[in-house]
Amino acid sequence: MVMVTKVPPRPTPVRRALRPLLATGVAAGLAVGSLVVVPGTAQAEDEKSGGTTLTVAVSQSIDSLSPFLAQKLTSTSIHRLAYEYLTNYDPKDARTVPGLATAWTSSPDKLTWTYTIRKDSTWSDGQQATAEDAAWTFNKMMTDPDAATANGSFTANFAAVTAPDPQTLVIRLKKPQATMTALDVPIVPKHVWEKVTDFSKFNNDKTFPIVGNGPFVITDFKVDQYIKLKPNKKFWRGAPQFDELVFKYYKDGDAAVAALQKGEVSFVPNLTPAQAAALKTQKNIKVNDAPGRRFYALATNPGAKAQDGKTFGNGNKALLDPEVRKALFLAVDRTTLVDKVFQGHAVEGEGYIPPRFGSYFWKPETTQKRAYDPAGAEKVLDAAGYRKNAAGKRLGKDGRPLDLRILCHATDPNDKAVGKYLQEWWGKLGIGLKVECLDSVSDPWVKGDYDLAFDGWSVNPDPDYVLSIHTCGTLPATPKDSGATDNFICDKEFDGLYAQQAVEYDTAKRADLVKRMQSRLYDTGYMNIMAYPNALEAYRTDQIKSITTMPEAAGNLWGQDGYWSWWSAVPTDRAADSDGGSSTGVVIGIAAAVVVVVGLGVFLGLRRRSTADDRE
Amino acid sequence: MTSLTWDRRKDSATRFWRGYRTHRAGLYGLAGLALIALLALAAPLIVGSDVQSVTEAPGTALEPPSAEFPLGTDQFGRSLLGLLIWGARISLLVGLLAAALSVAIGTLVGIIAGHYGGWFSTVVMRITDWFLVMPTLVLAIVLATVMSRSMWTVVLAIGVTSWPTTARLVRAQTIAVESRPYIERATALGGGHRHVMTRHVLPNVMPLVLAQTTLGISTAILTEATLAFLGLGDPTVVSWGGMLQDAREAGAVSSGHWWYLAPPGIAIALVALAFTLCGRAVESVLNPKLGVGR
Repeated sequence: MVMVTKVPPRPTPVRRALRPLLATGVAAGLAVGSLVVVPGTAQAEDEKSGGTTLTVAVSQSIDSLSPFLAQKLTSTSIHRLAYEYLTNYDPKDARTVPGLATAWTSSPDKLTWTYTIRKDSTWSDGQQATAEDAAWTFNKMMTDPDAATANGSFTANFAAVTAPDPQTLVIRLKKPQATMTALDVPIVPKHVWEKVTDFSKFNNDKTFPIVGNGPFVITDFKVDQYIKLKPNKKFWRGAPQFDELVFKYYKDGDAAVAALQKGEVSFVPNLTPAQAAALKTQKNIKVNDAPGRRFYALATNPGAKAQDGKTFGNGNKALLDPEVRKALFLAVDRTTLVDKVFQGHAVEGEGYIPPRFGSYFWKPETTQKRAYDPAGAEKVLDAAGYRKNAAGKRLGKDGRPLDLRILCHATDPNDKAVGKYLQEWWGKLGIGLKVECLDSVSDPWVKGDYDLAFDGWSVNPDPDYVLSIHTCGTLPATPKDSGATDNFICDKEFDGLYAQQAVEYDTAKRADLVKRMQSRLYDTGYMNIMAYPNALEAYRTDQIKSITTMPEAAGNLWGQDGYWSWWSAVPTDRAADSDGGSSTGVVIGIAAAVVVVVGLGVFLGLRRRSTADDRE
Repeated sequence: MTSLTWDRRKDSATRFWRGYRTHRAGLYGLAGLALIALLALAAPLIVGSDVQSVTEAPGTALEPPSAEFPLGTDQFGRSLLGLLIWGARISLLVGLLAAALSVAIGTLVGIIAGHYGGWFSTVVMRITDWFLVMPTLVLAIVLATVMSRSMWTVVLAIGVTSWPTTARLVRAQTIAVESRPYIERATALGGGHRHVMTRHVLPNVMPLVLAQTTLGISTAILTEATLAFLGLGDPTVVSWGGMLQDAREAGAVSSGHWWYLAPPGIAIALVALAFTLCGRAVESVLNPKLGVGR
């Protein structure tokens, strides 16, 4: 499901916080122009104190600061900074590198894994981080279902975890597990967390600083306002260079960009193409346009069902016919979407895993591929017996016109834009489409009350998780429960391949299995991967001198698999001047807004005068 | 009898127009409205519904104004001038329907409360007061959020939140009308509640209702634009507020694409202004107490 994921798809820019503010200024939101001229103060402040602050604009709310509950991208990114994981990914090529563990070996039967825990990692309260902490963390997740909420998939197959001495961690498995060097689980300090009684309620946001052993320590947090972190001077890999790291909330993308132009924030992720183009021409701002780790897809409801075999939801029955799905997907011109909606800042979608993860990337054979072919789509529908009536509408098998719905995220402009194209393409086939945009799509999604939906996931270097969400095992237990399943897909062949890859330690063989899974998923025709959107982000070069992207060549900065970007960021000497950098365009925009506001003033003035007359 | 009625109506219409003509601002408003209404009605001929099509958009994304696109293009490459004209249809339609709905509810509540009086009136008026003190926009946002996104939702949300002012005005007028002796005569001759309300009270409160409707439209158009701008409108139809929302989502504000933002904003302000000017003129013609025209 899109909203509740470990690394959720789109960090959806929720604008709720801004709404009351705008609402008070009714005036049809014409005051828009004034948003641009927010005066910058943050920078002035830290110049006074002499420290260097790296401010990152974020929009997605924190679901929890407890590593046992956090699933959203912002939260998990911050846990990467505050806690060490057993292993990390190399920023160059995403291969496994040491984290809290310095070395690892497995028994010949691959069922016992022994990790050597480093001696030079201490918790921020001064205590030594040991194998005992790691063993306690894993044991807690294995024994307490509440503690397994976020990362339970990693420990479900663990038989026992022990720490024979402070530098040795032993994990015994029930059956082999391919993700043993990619356990993305934050290790927490036992002496702090053993006092916690209810893991389902403890959000780890009451006492600061939060004890951790990552490159940064969380020192303050206010819901939807900011999260402040200080560098961990004793971090074993070396202390970060900035004196403070602040994640500041901007629920509106334009406000965040304005703050970047003013120098109030140092970094803004998730730019629109227009924003990126405008920022590129500005002094002291660098735009990073990197291949993303996300896919952006159309998902069809395959007839939602639960593990107990009961079906539920009101998905259109016509979509159960593979021919209808095929025709719909044949009529989607992915290259146009990349050119027009993403304006070139994306790559046309093919297989399930983005090309960035080269070893797992797969694309369909020419014979298998559903290339854009509207005429072919018509033929497929005609042949399958979906005739057009006199009004040009396709009729379903029940004799009624074929009208579909698509679930869209009201906060995602791309969904709405693609929805417009789909309406027209499918309209030509004679199929109606209603775009239902909701602030939160999870409700109808979990209930299976949708025909199609916009779907998207961030993919980790290890693809196990994003593949697991299409297996039968992740379907909800009963129609009332919610499962980890993405889209209610349950396919025996896919499941068989999934089980095989999970126990395959040979990387080449596993990659081959993963590719076969993608091929199978493609053939089931439940999903159409439309694009792999780029990471479009910008930072101020007069605040950040250098920063590590991941992968190092053409990589992203926000939402990395690791703490590399913020840990490696080097501050620029503050001697350099920092001018506001307002372009003429903005000036003209403000002037236009002023004209409008004056016009409204006249209008409101007239009204006021008139009502004065009323008071006899 | 019939011809007598018609003569009387013609007379009063002429008298009304003579009064209205003396209000210069009202005439400007009327001219502006006529022009915009003409554009909206002729939109299918001037620009055609193809202007909304994204797959057949003629330009490239966010082009500045040029000879081909006098107001530039949006992020899909559609002509903004065409969209502005097409958007007038939805903005005006929603404004008119919402104002009509709001005034209809207000009139009904006002007449019933004023006519029956007593505890019934007290209860109804307390409910009206409750709606009156509720911030209209917040209530409309709540309604637009919980209901599915469509044009009718917006009409309903504006309509059911902005009626209390009309209800209060109409109730006062109803009480004033009903205190006149001829109402008593009508009752004595056997006129029931229904007869009194529809044949005597309603025609007498009509001028007030008319003025209130004209004024309500501008508020309704502004509220519609606000709701659409906040992303609560129907994203699949083109309206002025929706254009502002699209502009914001495309990042037009921070990237300095003023030609995307200014025209819909100015259009909203102008239409609201025109309706207000008309409404004030109508009001002062129909209500001698408001004194000489401006």
